[in-house]
Amino acid sequence: MRGVTALLGPLKYLLLAAALAYPLTPVSDVYVLHVVVLVMVYMVLAMGLNILPGFCGLLDLGYVGFYGIGAYTAGLLTLNYDLSFWIIVPLAVLNGALWGIVLGAPTLRLVGDYFAIVTFGFSELVVLFLTNEIWLTRGPLGLPGIAPVSLDLSWLSRLLNPEWDWRYVFSGEEPYYYLGMAMVFMVYVVLRRVEDSRLGRAWLAIREDPMAAASTGVNLFAYKVIAFAVSTGIGALAGCFYARWAMFLSPDMFKFWESFLVLCMVVLGGLGNIRGALIGAVVLISLGEVLRVALPKFGLPAETRFLVYGLIMVLIMRFRPGGFFTAVAESTLASPLIIDLRRKLAARKTG
Amino acid sequence: MLEQQLVNGLTLGLIYALIAVGYTMVYGVIELINFAHGEVYMFGAFLCMTFLTVFGAPLIVAVLLSMACCALMGVLLDVVAYRPLRNAPRLAALITAIGMSIFLQNLAMIIWGSRPLPFVKEALPAFFKVTALSFGDVNISWMQMTIYIVAISLMILLNVIITKTRTGTAMRALAQNRVCASLMGINVNRVIAFTFALGSGLGAMAGIMVSMFYNTMYPTMGYNAGVKAFAAAVLGGIGSVPGAMFGGVVLGIAETLGAGYVSSPYRDGVAYAIMILVIILRPSGLLGRAVTEKA
Amino acid sequence: MLGKGLKFFGTACLMGLLLAAVPALADDVIKIAVPSPYTGSAAGFGENVKAGVTLKVEEINAAGGIGGKKVEAVYLDEQCEPREAATVSTKIANDKAIVGIVGHLCSSAHLAALPTYVREGIAAISPTATSVTITDKNKDAKGNVWSFRNVYRDDFQGKFLAQYVDKVMGLKKIAVFYENNDYGIGLKDAFVKEAKTLGLTIVGEEAYMKGAQDFNPQLTKMKGGAPEALFIAGYYPEGALIVDQAKKIGLDVPKFGADGFDNADYIKLAGDAADGLYLTAPFLAETAGPDAKKFIETFKARFGRDVDWMSANAYDATGMLADAIAKVGADRAKIRDYLAGINTADKGYKGITGVNYFDQNGDCLKPAYVKTVKGNAFVPAPKQMD
Repeated sequence: MRGVTALLGPLKYLLLAAALAYPLTPVSDVYVLHVVVLVMVYMVLAMGLNILPGFCGLLDLGYVGFYGIGAYTAGLLTLNYDLSFWIIVPLAVLNGALWGIVLGAPTLRLVGDYFAIVTFGFSELVVLFLTNEIWLTRGPLGLPGIAPVSLDLSWLSRLLNPEWDWRYVFSGEEPYYYLGMAMVFMVYVVLRRVEDSRLGRAWLAIREDPMAAASTGVNLFAYKVIAFAVSTGIGALAGCFYARWAMFLSPDMFKFWESFLVLCMVVLGGLGNIRGALIGAVVLISLGEVLRVALPKFGLPAETRFLVYGLIMVLIMRFRPGGFFTAVAESTLASPLIIDLRRKLAARKTG
Repeated sequence: MLEQQLVNGLTLGLIYALIAVGYTMVYGVIELINFAHGEVYMFGAFLCMTFLTVFGAPLIVAVLLSMACCALMGVLLDVVAYRPLRNAPRLAALITAIGMSIFLQNLAMIIWGSRPLPFVKEALPAFFKVTALSFGDVNISWMQMTIYIVAISLMILLNVIITKTRTGTAMRALAQNRVCASLMGINVNRVIAFTFALGSGLGAMAGIMVSMFYNTMYPTMGYNAGVKAFAAAVLGGIGSVPGAMFGGVVLGIAETLGAGYVSSPYRDGVAYAIMILVIILRPSGLLGRAVTEKA
Repeated sequence: MLGKGLKFFGTACLMGLLLAAVPALADDVIKIAVPSPYTGSAAGFGENVKAGVTLKVEEINAAGGIGGKKVEAVYLDEQCEPREAATVSTKIANDKAIVGIVGHLCSSAHLAALPTYVREGIAAISPTATSVTITDKNKDAKGNVWSFRNVYRDDFQGKFLAQYVDKVMGLKKIAVFYENNDYGIGLKDAFVKEAKTLGLTIVGEEAYMKGAQDFNPQLTKMKGGAPEALFIAGYYPEGALIVDQAKKIGLDVPKFGADGFDNADYIKLAGDAADGLYLTAPFLAETAGPDAKKFIETFKARFGRDVDWMSANAYDATGMLADAIAKVGADRAKIRDYLAGINTADKGYKGITGVNYFDQNGDCLKPAYVKTVKGNAFVPAPKQMD
């Protein structure tokens, strides 16, 4: 076991190097790149959602609503005001977080599944709003022709050498591949830091035992609202990226099913495990593509794709009810910090 | 016009109520939102149609057979998919429910095709089309009357089962505390299976009546109805059977009035908005008992 | 312990994805892609398109293929969802053996896939996508059109129907019921705009969602306006129920619909209420040529149901693509140029749905006919537009 772990270190960097170099190699192709970028979008979504059920023990069934808010914020700002992607990102994230607080403030006091149900209702209302407010969103006609991301460094070139024209408009999948990678990396690092911070520990305490957490001085409500805002902000970030990458939005993209898909990724990976969420996104997105190719090879028609998809989901849960990475999740719980926290909580509870 | 809208709303509401009790009973005993329930409802309609056309069964027989098959299907769902996860994290069962829902929907699509099918008109008694009651501008057909009578009597029957029989008592005990119930000698798995059978049978009946009334059935019909009925169950207080019935009727009428007087594009929004408001103002639902956070 | 899970599933998925990307070795077939919904709620429509393409491809192959090569249709499922459609579009672009596309079915899916087709340079003919927006988004920087369609745009049919209601039927008070999607809204807007120009009165505009079954509230409300006709902008699965429920509540007026109603299942679903519907169609079986008659018979024998406009359009779109391949060879760019060159009726492709040719935007120019339902059968309307 130790040998394998030792091997994993260098292997990890090798894989990373390979991933970075992949679009430049001759074997790279637009389809694989596209699917990988899509996986990255879902990785961000899964990591963002993970905060609620994974860290705080709150079941959110309406995550796609915030993804939609982020995407439409970005799409509309691009189409109407032609703002740069780099300005839109913070705006979209703030808008997502803002709506998170608006929804979260009155509902986070709810207990159990009622919270889940309110989030579900909210996401359905978001879709209805996007569908029906045609003056703003063009409704079901969709938002086509959203400009791609562009990088304008002309101010820099003016400073250095006016001859240079440093403007780069993203085209094709390759630049998005790198941008997506940067986004996933950034969110991952931030969440890992948060996980180990005071904030993260407060969230875990809330998940483990809200009552005890409250009695140790954790302001349940404030920490839950923060969790909700961070989570919805990350959802909006993914939406923002998606809008400028896909260049087309329609309300159909933000149906209830998407919330489920992201939730499945989180559960599949192992609740509360950031790396698990990443793997969950890889598995569920590529599964659909793999089945597309694999099923005809077994003589099954294209119509059976989701039959098998559903079945595989059931089977995974049947044999790995805690997700793939229960082991890693437990190891997170086995960290001295958390053991210490649990011990303190237990002491408070009994004492 | 208001009276006619109320009649329309009541028809819709009673159908929601029949589906909603399935959600709420299952939730009551195992705290699982059984997302595959909408698919059982859809199978009810298709199975009934199949019995009528392929086996040429008389209507009553086809309806009862279809209900029985769906009850069996509910039990199978529980035994195959949910029972192994009884002690697993709750979300695992929820994901399984979603997986089963996708599976069943696509299974129906492969068996019966994805195009909408009409109900077997020849099998329906001729008097269904005749107006049963008529006052002023308002007309109620015998088909609608049948829906009222069947739905209400089924729900009365259900109440009797829950309150008067031994199994019903066991169900209520289970909803209170599963561990305690099993200590009292209740066969937990059998009671849960019975709950699934009961809810699924009623769901199937709702599916059959909907397909008869609107003369259409298609494999994705379970989604919309399921989501609405789920909202109804929540509205009434999830876990409460009378609440689900009441919630269904309230939701049906609210939706109809919303579409008729407020805004038709936001028709579905009315249901969700009411649901959210009720939860925020009265978290236990209209008829639910107050819940405390479970540790 | 990071072990089993990651190793097995991660590797399996990555390997699978890479395998999925490897295009099949180009043997002696010419491939065309047919991206449409084959699962999900729009799968019924996808089935129609698939049927039309299947018949044409079989016909071509029975006649020896194109230049001795067999034609193979690759059916790719996109569930009518923009996200899936965008993925499928890259898969198509990536498979160099695919030279042209028949699809997508839904306008939103088509719009989501278009950027890839334009960028990668592969031409698509949609047999069914009617959204006006496609016209603005189907050109590359040089102004070359990459997406064509042999189906009317929403605005054409909406306008046409408004004129028919006014000039031929002489009805003045109209209630409008539309499906809340791109098709329904496009049709409704064009209809209402033209109706207002013609001086008709719109006595109610109501919406419904796809998959809805209960239309009583909206119909009851519309009945209050005492309309002389009901315009239904949507597809037949819901449309049939609307017609049926309208009759039940006593709203027994002529109904109008567009090509979304042109399906034999409409009559089965609407039952006794089916009569009295007028709809636009690209061709009339009764007046169609021998090719169309043969197609109608073959279709019925093969699939056991009556033909619908989607299958007919898909059959013709496949025919056009095959024609292009036969003329200029299996080359994506040349096929596009050839298709763009079909811009007058003389150069048009004579298919079963009439003469198919495109304007400078890749939109089709086809005459429309009006059919009606009488005695539970589609028949040509007694009076056509002049």
